[in-house]
Amino acid sequence: MIAGLALAVGVIVGLVLRPTVPHWLEPYLPIAVVAALDAVFGGIRARLDGIFDSKVFVVSFVSNVVVAALIVFLGDKLGVGGQLSTAVVVVLGIRIFGNAAAIRRHVFRA
Amino acid sequence: MTSRRNTSSTDLLVDLVTNTADPGYAATAARRGPDAPRRWFDRPATAVGCLLVGFTLAIAYVHTHRGAPAAAKVHNDLVRRVEAAQSSANALEARAQQLGTKITRARDQALPGTSLGAQLQRNELLAGATPAAGPGLQVKLGDPPQPTSTPDNGRRGTTPIGGTQLLTDRDVRSVVNELWHDGAEAISVNDVRLTPTSAIRFAGQAVLVDFAPITSPYTIEAIGDSDVLVTSFADSDVASRYHTLASAEGVNFSWTQEGKLHLPATTAATPRYARPAETKGPR
Repeated sequence: MIAGLALAVGVIVGLVLRPTVPHWLEPYLPIAVVAALDAVFGGIRARLDGIFDSKVFVVSFVSNVVVAALIVFLGDKLGVGGQLSTAVVVVLGIRIFGNAAAIRRHVFRA
Repeated sequence: MTSRRNTSSTDLLVDLVTNTADPGYAATAARRGPDAPRRWFDRPATAVGCLLVGFTLAIAYVHTHRGAPAAAKVHNDLVRRVEAAQSSANALEARAQQLGTKITRARDQALPGTSLGAQLQRNELLAGATPAAGPGLQVKLGDPPQPTSTPDNGRRGTTPIGGTQLLTDRDVRSVVNELWHDGAEAISVNDVRLTPTSAIRFAGQAVLVDFAPITSPYTIEAIGDSDVLVTSFADSDVASRYHTLASAEGVNFSWTQEGKLHLPATTAATPRYARPAETKGPR
Protein backbone atom coordinates (compact mmCIF):
# COMPACT_ATOMS: atom_id res chain seq x y z
CA MET A 1 0.00 0.00 0.00
CA ILE A 2 2.56 2.53 1.17
CA ALA A 3 5.00 1.17 -1.41
CA GLY A 4 2.63 1.81 -4.29
CA LEU A 5 1.83 5.25 -2.94
CA ALA A 6 5.51 6.13 -2.65
CA LEU A 7 6.14 4.83 -6.16
CA ALA A 8 3.38 7.05 -7.53
CA VAL A 9 4.70 10.04 -5.56
CA GLY A 10 8.19 9.41 -6.94
CA VAL A 11 6.89 9.29 -10.51
CA ILE A 12 4.86 12.46 -10.01
CA VAL A 13 7.79 14.31 -8.42
CA GLY A 14 9.99 13.29 -11.34
CA LEU A 15 7.40 14.38 -13.89
CA VAL A 16 6.74 17.70 -12.15
CA LEU A 17 10.35 18.66 -11.45
CA ARG A 18 11.61 17.42 -14.86
CA PRO A 19 15.22 17.53 -13.70
CA THR A 20 17.91 17.77 -16.37
CA VAL A 21 20.23 14.82 -16.35
CA PRO A 22 23.86 15.98 -16.36
CA HIS A 23 25.76 14.94 -19.45
CA TRP A 24 28.23 12.69 -17.61
CA LEU A 25 25.33 10.78 -16.01
CA GLU A 26 23.56 9.96 -19.26
CA PRO A 27 25.27 6.62 -20.00
CA TYR A 28 24.23 5.31 -16.57
CA LEU A 29 20.55 6.15 -16.93
CA PRO A 30 19.55 2.93 -18.75
CA ILE A 31 21.40 0.90 -16.15
CA ALA A 32 19.68 2.73 -13.32
CA VAL A 33 16.33 2.06 -14.96
CA VAL A 34 16.98 -1.65 -15.33
CA ALA A 35 18.31 -1.86 -11.77
CA ALA A 36 15.20 -0.05 -10.50
CA LEU A 37 12.89 -2.43 -12.34
CA ASP A 38 14.87 -5.36 -10.99
CA ALA A 39 14.50 -4.04 -7.44
CA VAL A 40 10.77 -3.56 -7.89
CA PHE A 41 10.12 -7.04 -9.27
CA GLY A 42 12.44 -8.62 -6.71
CA GLY A 43 10.64 -6.78 -3.92
CA ILE A 44 7.18 -7.78 -5.14
CA ARG A 45 8.25 -11.38 -5.42
CA ALA A 46 9.70 -11.36 -1.89
CA ARG A 47 6.51 -9.79 -0.57
CA LEU A 48 4.47 -12.56 -2.18
CA ASP A 49 6.90 -15.15 -0.80
CA GLY A 50 6.36 -13.53 2.60
CA ILE A 51 10.01 -12.71 3.13
CA PHE A 52 10.07 -9.05 2.15
CA ASP A 53 12.55 -6.98 4.06
CA SER A 54 12.76 -3.22 3.67
CA LYS A 55 16.48 -3.08 4.41
CA VAL A 56 17.29 -5.68 1.77
CA PHE A 57 15.06 -3.85 -0.70
CA VAL A 58 16.71 -0.45 -0.32
CA VAL A 59 20.23 -1.79 -0.03
CA SER A 60 19.83 -4.07 -3.05
CA PHE A 61 18.46 -1.26 -5.20
CA VAL A 62 21.16 1.23 -4.26
CA SER A 63 23.98 -1.28 -4.48
CA ASN A 64 22.71 -2.61 -7.82
CA VAL A 65 22.75 0.87 -9.29
CA VAL A 66 26.14 1.69 -7.83
CA VAL A 67 27.81 -1.57 -8.81
CA ALA A 68 26.34 -1.57 -12.32
CA ALA A 69 27.40 2.04 -12.82
CA LEU A 70 30.86 1.23 -11.50
CA ILE A 71 31.24 -1.70 -13.90
CA VAL A 72 30.19 0.43 -16.84
CA PHE A 73 32.39 3.32 -15.71
CA LEU A 74 35.40 1.00 -15.55
CA GLY A 75 34.44 -0.48 -18.90
CA ASP A 76 34.22 3.00 -20.41
CA LYS A 77 37.72 3.76 -19.19
CA LEU A 78 39.00 0.46 -20.63
CA GLY A 79 37.13 0.72 -23.91
CA VAL A 80 34.50 -1.99 -23.36
CA GLY A 81 31.80 0.19 -21.83
CA GLY A 82 29.19 -0.57 -24.48
CA GLN A 83 29.63 -4.32 -24.13
CA LEU A 84 29.63 -4.24 -20.34
CA SER A 85 26.53 -2.07 -20.38
CA THR A 86 24.86 -4.72 -22.53
CA ALA A 87 26.03 -7.42 -20.13
CA VAL A 88 24.53 -5.59 -17.15
CA VAL A 89 21.24 -5.10 -18.95
CA VAL A 90 21.12 -8.76 -20.02
CA VAL A 91 21.83 -10.14 -16.53
CA LEU A 92 19.37 -7.82 -14.81
CA GLY A 93 16.87 -8.42 -17.60
CA ILE A 94 17.01 -12.17 -17.02
CA ARG A 95 16.40 -11.57 -13.34
CA ILE A 96 13.44 -9.34 -14.10
CA PHE A 97 11.91 -12.02 -16.31
CA GLY A 98 12.50 -14.72 -13.72
CA ASN A 99 10.95 -12.63 -10.97
CA ALA A 100 8.03 -11.71 -13.18
CA ALA A 101 7.45 -15.42 -13.83
CA ALA A 102 7.53 -16.14 -10.09
CA ILE A 103 5.03 -13.32 -9.45
CA ARG A 104 2.82 -14.72 -12.18
CA ARG A 105 2.89 -18.14 -10.53
CA HIS A 106 1.95 -16.57 -7.23
CA VAL A 107 -0.88 -14.48 -8.57
CA PHE A 108 -2.45 -16.79 -11.12
CA ARG A 109 -1.27 -20.10 -9.66
CA ALA A 110 -0.20 -21.02 -13.17
CA MET B 1 39.52 -31.22 -17.27
CA THR B 2 37.70 -29.51 -20.07
CA SER B 3 34.44 -31.23 -19.20
CA ARG B 4 34.65 -30.00 -15.63
CA ARG B 5 35.24 -26.46 -16.75
CA ASN B 6 32.29 -26.74 -19.12
CA THR B 7 30.00 -27.96 -16.38
CA SER B 8 30.96 -25.16 -14.07
CA SER B 9 30.40 -22.48 -16.68
CA THR B 10 27.03 -23.91 -17.70
CA ASP B 11 26.16 -24.15 -14.01
CA LEU B 12 26.76 -20.46 -13.75
CA LEU B 13 24.43 -19.74 -16.66
CA VAL B 14 21.74 -22.14 -15.43
CA ASP B 15 21.97 -20.59 -12.00
CA LEU B 16 21.61 -17.16 -13.54
CA VAL B 17 18.44 -18.14 -15.37
CA THR B 18 16.73 -20.36 -12.76
CA ASN B 19 17.75 -18.68 -9.54
CA THR B 20 16.46 -15.22 -10.15
CA ALA B 21 15.39 -14.34 -6.63
CA ASP B 22 17.65 -12.06 -4.67
CA PRO B 23 19.26 -14.41 -2.09
CA GLY B 24 19.35 -11.49 0.34
CA TYR B 25 15.63 -11.80 1.13
CA ALA B 26 15.84 -15.51 1.93
CA ALA B 27 18.98 -15.03 4.02
CA THR B 28 17.45 -12.23 6.07
CA ALA B 29 14.23 -14.16 6.56
CA ALA B 30 16.19 -17.17 7.77
CA ARG B 31 18.26 -15.05 10.14
CA ARG B 32 15.36 -13.13 11.65
CA GLY B 33 12.95 -16.02 11.93
CA PRO B 34 9.38 -16.26 10.70
CA ASP B 35 7.72 -13.90 13.18
CA ALA B 36 10.22 -11.10 13.46
CA PRO B 37 8.79 -7.89 14.95
CA ARG B 38 8.37 -4.85 12.74
CA ARG B 39 11.23 -2.46 13.03
CA TRP B 40 10.68 1.28 13.18
CA PHE B 41 12.35 1.92 9.85
CA ASP B 42 10.52 -0.74 7.87
CA ARG B 43 7.80 1.44 6.40
CA PRO B 44 9.86 4.61 5.83
CA ALA B 45 12.65 2.60 4.20
CA THR B 46 10.22 0.88 1.84
CA ALA B 47 8.64 4.22 1.04
CA VAL B 48 11.99 5.88 0.36
CA GLY B 49 13.09 2.95 -1.80
CA CYS B 50 9.90 3.06 -3.86
CA LEU B 51 10.18 6.82 -4.12
CA LEU B 52 13.70 6.48 -5.50
CA VAL B 53 12.59 3.81 -7.97
CA GLY B 54 9.67 5.88 -9.20
CA PHE B 55 11.83 8.97 -9.44
CA THR B 56 14.44 7.10 -11.48
CA LEU B 57 11.84 5.76 -13.90
CA ALA B 58 10.25 9.19 -14.29
CA ILE B 59 13.60 10.86 -14.91
CA ALA B 60 14.44 8.29 -17.56
CA TYR B 61 11.07 8.80 -19.22
CA VAL B 62 11.36 12.57 -19.19
CA HIS B 63 14.93 12.49 -20.39
CA THR B 64 14.20 10.16 -23.31
CA HIS B 65 11.15 12.05 -24.44
CA ARG B 66 12.67 15.44 -24.06
CA GLY B 67 16.02 14.75 -25.73
CA ALA B 68 14.85 13.05 -28.92
CA PRO B 69 12.16 15.48 -30.09
CA ALA B 70 14.32 18.48 -29.23
CA ALA B 71 17.16 17.18 -31.38
CA ALA B 72 14.73 16.32 -34.18
CA LYS B 73 13.13 19.75 -33.87
CA VAL B 74 16.47 21.52 -34.16
CA HIS B 75 17.39 19.36 -37.13
CA ASN B 76 14.07 19.96 -38.89
CA ASP B 77 14.32 23.64 -38.17
CA LEU B 78 17.79 23.84 -39.70
CA VAL B 79 16.68 21.84 -42.73
CA ARG B 80 13.70 24.15 -43.20
CA ARG B 81 15.90 27.22 -42.95
CA VAL B 82 18.36 25.81 -45.48
CA GLU B 83 15.54 24.94 -47.85
CA ALA B 84 13.96 28.37 -47.48
CA ALA B 85 17.29 30.05 -48.13
CA GLN B 86 17.88 27.86 -51.17
CA SER B 87 14.46 28.53 -52.65
CA SER B 88 14.78 32.26 -52.08
CA ALA B 89 18.24 32.18 -53.66
CA ASN B 90 16.78 30.32 -56.65
CA ALA B 91 13.95 32.83 -56.94
CA LEU B 92 16.37 35.74 -56.80
CA GLU B 93 18.59 34.07 -59.38
CA ALA B 94 15.63 33.53 -61.70
CA ARG B 95 14.54 37.14 -61.22
CA ALA B 96 18.04 38.40 -61.92
CA GLN B 97 18.19 36.42 -65.14
CA GLN B 98 14.75 37.62 -66.17
CA LEU B 99 15.74 41.22 -65.55
CA GLY B 100 18.99 40.55 -67.39
CA THR B 101 17.14 39.40 -70.51
CA LYS B 102 14.94 42.48 -70.25
CA ILE B 103 17.98 44.71 -70.09
CA THR B 104 19.54 42.95 -73.06
CA ARG B 105 16.37 43.38 -75.08
CA ALA B 106 16.07 47.04 -74.19
CA ARG B 107 19.70 47.62 -75.02
CA ASP B 108 19.42 45.82 -78.33
CA GLN B 109 16.55 48.14 -79.20
CA ALA B 110 18.57 51.15 -78.15
CA LEU B 111 21.70 50.13 -80.05
CA PRO B 112 20.43 48.36 -83.13
CA GLY B 113 23.14 46.92 -85.30
CA THR B 114 25.94 49.03 -83.96
CA SER B 115 29.37 47.65 -83.30
CA LEU B 116 28.97 48.70 -79.68
CA GLY B 117 26.06 46.26 -79.24
CA ALA B 118 28.01 43.42 -80.81
CA GLN B 119 30.98 44.12 -78.59
CA LEU B 120 28.75 44.13 -75.52
CA GLN B 121 27.28 40.78 -76.50
CA ARG B 122 30.73 39.33 -76.99
CA ASN B 123 31.86 40.57 -73.59
CA GLU B 124 28.76 39.19 -71.93
CA LEU B 125 29.33 35.82 -73.52
CA LEU B 126 32.88 35.75 -72.25
CA ALA B 127 31.71 36.78 -68.79
CA GLY B 128 29.10 34.01 -68.74
CA ALA B 129 26.23 36.47 -68.44
CA THR B 130 24.34 35.05 -71.44
CA PRO B 131 23.63 31.42 -72.27
CA ALA B 132 26.06 29.99 -74.75
CA ALA B 133 25.59 27.37 -77.43
CA GLY B 134 28.00 25.74 -79.78
CA PRO B 135 30.05 22.66 -80.55
CA GLY B 136 32.39 21.32 -77.92
CA LEU B 137 33.52 18.59 -75.62
CA GLN B 138 31.77 16.89 -72.74
CA VAL B 139 33.93 15.30 -70.05
CA LYS B 140 32.42 13.00 -67.45
CA LEU B 141 34.20 12.30 -64.19
CA GLY B 142 32.56 10.20 -61.50
CA ASP B 143 33.50 8.65 -58.18
CA PRO B 144 33.75 4.86 -58.27
CA PRO B 145 30.64 3.10 -56.97
CA GLN B 146 30.91 2.79 -53.21
CA PRO B 147 31.10 -0.73 -51.85
CA THR B 148 28.07 -1.29 -49.65
CA SER B 149 29.38 -0.70 -46.21
CA THR B 150 28.85 -3.32 -43.54
CA PRO B 151 26.59 -2.25 -40.70
CA ASP B 152 28.71 -0.32 -38.32
CA ASN B 153 28.83 -1.72 -34.81
CA GLY B 154 30.91 1.08 -33.41
CA ARG B 155 29.80 3.06 -30.43
CA ARG B 156 27.81 6.19 -30.85
CA GLY B 157 29.81 9.26 -31.69
CA THR B 158 32.35 7.53 -33.91
CA THR B 159 32.35 8.16 -37.65
CA PRO B 160 32.81 5.16 -39.89
CA ILE B 161 35.90 5.09 -42.05
CA GLY B 162 35.21 4.67 -45.75
CA GLY B 163 32.74 7.48 -46.24
CA THR B 164 35.43 9.37 -48.10
CA GLN B 165 35.40 10.30 -51.73
CA LEU B 166 38.16 9.83 -54.21
CA LEU B 167 37.51 12.86 -56.39
CA THR B 168 37.88 16.33 -54.97
CA ASP B 169 37.88 19.91 -56.18
CA ARG B 170 41.42 19.40 -57.44
CA ASP B 171 40.27 16.87 -60.03
CA VAL B 172 37.47 19.07 -61.33
CA ARG B 173 39.85 22.02 -61.39
CA SER B 174 42.55 20.22 -63.32
CA VAL B 175 40.07 19.12 -66.01
CA VAL B 176 38.70 22.66 -66.26
CA ASN B 177 42.18 24.15 -66.47
CA GLU B 178 43.13 21.69 -69.19
CA LEU B 179 40.01 22.61 -71.16
CA TRP B 180 40.75 26.35 -70.90
CA HIS B 181 44.27 25.56 -72.05
CA ASP B 182 42.92 23.55 -74.99
CA GLY B 183 41.01 26.55 -76.24
CA ALA B 184 37.59 26.31 -74.63
CA GLU B 185 35.61 29.53 -74.79
CA ALA B 186 32.90 28.72 -72.26
CA ILE B 187 32.76 26.00 -69.64
CA SER B 188 30.12 24.75 -67.26
CA VAL B 189 30.47 22.20 -64.49
CA ASN B 190 27.27 20.29 -63.68
CA ASP B 191 25.30 23.11 -65.33
CA VAL B 192 27.04 25.83 -63.34
CA ARG B 193 28.63 28.25 -65.77
CA LEU B 194 32.15 29.31 -65.04
CA THR B 195 32.94 33.00 -65.14
CA PRO B 196 36.25 34.87 -64.88
CA THR B 197 35.69 35.08 -61.11
CA SER B 198 34.62 31.45 -60.57
CA ALA B 199 36.27 29.42 -57.85
CA ILE B 200 36.17 25.65 -57.56
CA ARG B 201 36.58 24.67 -53.94
CA PHE B 202 35.95 21.81 -51.55
CA ALA B 203 33.82 22.08 -48.45
CA GLY B 204 32.83 19.09 -46.35
CA GLN B 205 31.74 16.40 -48.75
CA ALA B 206 30.81 18.58 -51.69
CA VAL B 207 32.67 20.38 -54.42
CA LEU B 208 31.61 24.01 -54.59
CA VAL B 209 31.59 25.86 -57.87
CA ASP B 210 31.28 29.47 -56.84
CA PHE B 211 28.77 28.82 -54.07
CA ALA B 212 26.74 26.04 -55.68
CA PRO B 213 27.45 22.60 -54.23
CA ILE B 214 27.78 19.84 -56.81
CA THR B 215 28.35 16.13 -56.33
CA SER B 216 29.75 13.26 -58.34
CA PRO B 217 29.37 12.47 -61.23
CA TYR B 218 30.83 15.70 -62.57
CA THR B 219 29.88 16.68 -66.10
CA ILE B 220 32.17 19.33 -67.53
CA GLU B 221 31.05 20.88 -70.79
CA ALA B 222 33.27 23.12 -72.84
CA ILE B 223 32.40 25.05 -75.98
CA GLY B 224 35.14 25.58 -78.53
CA ASP B 225 36.58 24.14 -81.69
CA SER B 226 35.51 20.59 -80.93
CA ASP B 227 38.16 18.89 -83.07
CA VAL B 228 40.96 20.84 -81.45
CA LEU B 229 39.46 20.34 -77.99
CA VAL B 230 39.18 16.57 -78.44
CA THR B 231 42.65 16.05 -79.81
CA SER B 232 44.35 18.35 -77.33
CA PHE B 233 42.44 16.95 -74.40
CA ALA B 234 43.14 13.35 -75.43
CA ASP B 235 46.81 14.24 -75.63
CA SER B 236 46.99 15.95 -72.26
CA ASP B 237 48.57 14.77 -69.02
CA VAL B 238 45.23 15.24 -67.30
CA ALA B 239 43.47 12.75 -69.58
CA SER B 240 46.19 10.14 -69.18
CA ARG B 241 46.18 10.62 -65.39
CA TYR B 242 42.45 9.96 -65.17
CA HIS B 243 42.76 7.02 -67.56
CA THR B 244 45.22 5.53 -65.10
CA LEU B 245 42.91 6.33 -62.18
CA ALA B 246 40.00 4.81 -64.07
CA SER B 247 41.78 1.50 -64.53
CA ALA B 248 43.35 1.46 -61.06
CA GLU B 249 40.59 2.85 -58.84
CA GLY B 250 37.45 2.45 -60.90
CA VAL B 251 36.89 6.16 -61.45
CA ASN B 252 34.39 6.86 -64.21
CA PHE B 253 36.12 8.91 -66.84
CA SER B 254 34.98 9.49 -70.40
CA TRP B 255 34.60 12.28 -72.90
CA THR B 256 32.55 12.78 -76.00
CA GLN B 257 32.68 15.27 -78.84
CA GLU B 258 29.37 17.11 -79.00
CA GLY B 259 27.93 18.87 -82.02
CA LYS B 260 25.82 21.24 -79.98
CA LEU B 261 26.10 22.09 -76.30
CA HIS B 262 23.95 24.51 -74.34
CA LEU B 263 25.57 26.21 -71.40
CA PRO B 264 23.37 28.15 -68.97
CA ALA B 265 24.01 31.74 -68.03
CA THR B 266 25.00 32.92 -64.63
CA THR B 267 24.40 36.22 -62.95
CA ALA B 268 27.58 38.18 -63.45
CA ALA B 269 29.00 39.74 -60.35
CA THR B 270 29.19 43.51 -60.45
CA PRO B 271 32.72 44.69 -59.78
CA ARG B 272 32.78 47.07 -56.84
CA TYR B 273 36.44 47.95 -56.59
CA ALA B 274 37.89 47.24 -60.00
CA ARG B 275 37.63 50.21 -62.39
CA PRO B 276 38.77 50.43 -65.97
CA ALA B 277 42.29 51.87 -65.81
CA GLU B 278 43.19 54.91 -67.87
CA THR B 279 44.67 53.61 -71.08
CA LYS B 280 47.59 55.69 -72.28
CA GLY B 281 47.55 55.63 -76.02
CA PRO B 282 46.65 52.69 -78.20
CA ARG B 283 47.57 49.24 -76.90
